[in-house]
Amino acid sequence: MTDVAGAGPGPRELRLAAVDPDAARDHVPGQPDMWAFVLFEAFLFTAYFTVYMVCRVQDPELYLRSQAQLDLRIGAFNTLVLLTSSWSVARCVQSAREGEFRSALTNAFLTLAFGLVFLVSKVLEWAHEIEKGFGFSSDEFFSFYYFLTAMHFLHLLIGFVVLGVVVHQLWSPARRSQELVETGATYWHTVDFLWVIIFALLYVMR
Amino acid sequence: MIAASEKRLIAVWLALCAITIVSLWVGSLDGRVAPAASTAVTSGAIGIALLKVRIIFREFMEVRHAPVLLGRLTDLWVLVTAVCLLGTYWAGMAFSTG
Repeated sequence: MTDVAGAGPGPRELRLAAVDPDAARDHVPGQPDMWAFVLFEAFLFTAYFTVYMVCRVQDPELYLRSQAQLDLRIGAFNTLVLLTSSWSVARCVQSAREGEFRSALTNAFLTLAFGLVFLVSKVLEWAHEIEKGFGFSSDEFFSFYYFLTAMHFLHLLIGFVVLGVVVHQLWSPARRSQELVETGATYWHTVDFLWVIIFALLYVMR
Repeated sequence: MIAASEKRLIAVWLALCAITIVSLWVGSLDGRVAPAASTAVTSGAIGIALLKVRIIFREFMEVRHAPVLLGRLTDLWVLVTAVCLLGTYWAGMAFSTG
């Protein structure tokens, strides 16, 4: 538990925040350094998204034709899988906070499982598009499609390492750190919310 | 018995899934055979996505319990992303039809 505003909470507030964040308004989930990284990554992706949009509005017909090759249902399925993984990692944080470490571990493993489902689904989707003849160089839309989904995929792979650290922390009573569990969860949610926007831009918008 | 915090997480997850289903419906409005550019569909898709992101920030990432500064920074990102994406799309569409 770390405070970034003013003089910081006293020992009583820290204990309360460890049990219930409702008890302390100034509870920063995880390490502030991770939040700085998350905001940096978020603004970097906003730059990617904006470049995509600038290119798209210059030739909307091409983007619409190529976008029609993607399966909207697969994009929605992947979104639901990542949202569910975010839910399970949020439950992991809550369980660890309440001292229910078996439940926290179960939810951490569930998050890993949902992440793997997303990974397999994404690889199969790429293979399917390449099989149909739509590769990175096919046209501008597919160049953005592969670039944005690959950048996101890279963050997903890092997410597996982060979740591994969370599991390692929860496994032994000697290592348990609520702050590190929350830090890992903050990273994983970032993988989720970046995908939510990629889904809207590549699959849904017209 | 399910704790109030657990119930809240379930409600948030269900709401996010329901909003995603709405996105699926929005994206299917004109079929996939001959999709046409649509400012309404695009604005709806981006608006829905940013609403979902804000819910993830506040509920799953617990920003609603965080210092005001963190809440403002995450809201600023949502706002900047909305302005960049919607502004570019609206301006681009206005020039191409103008």
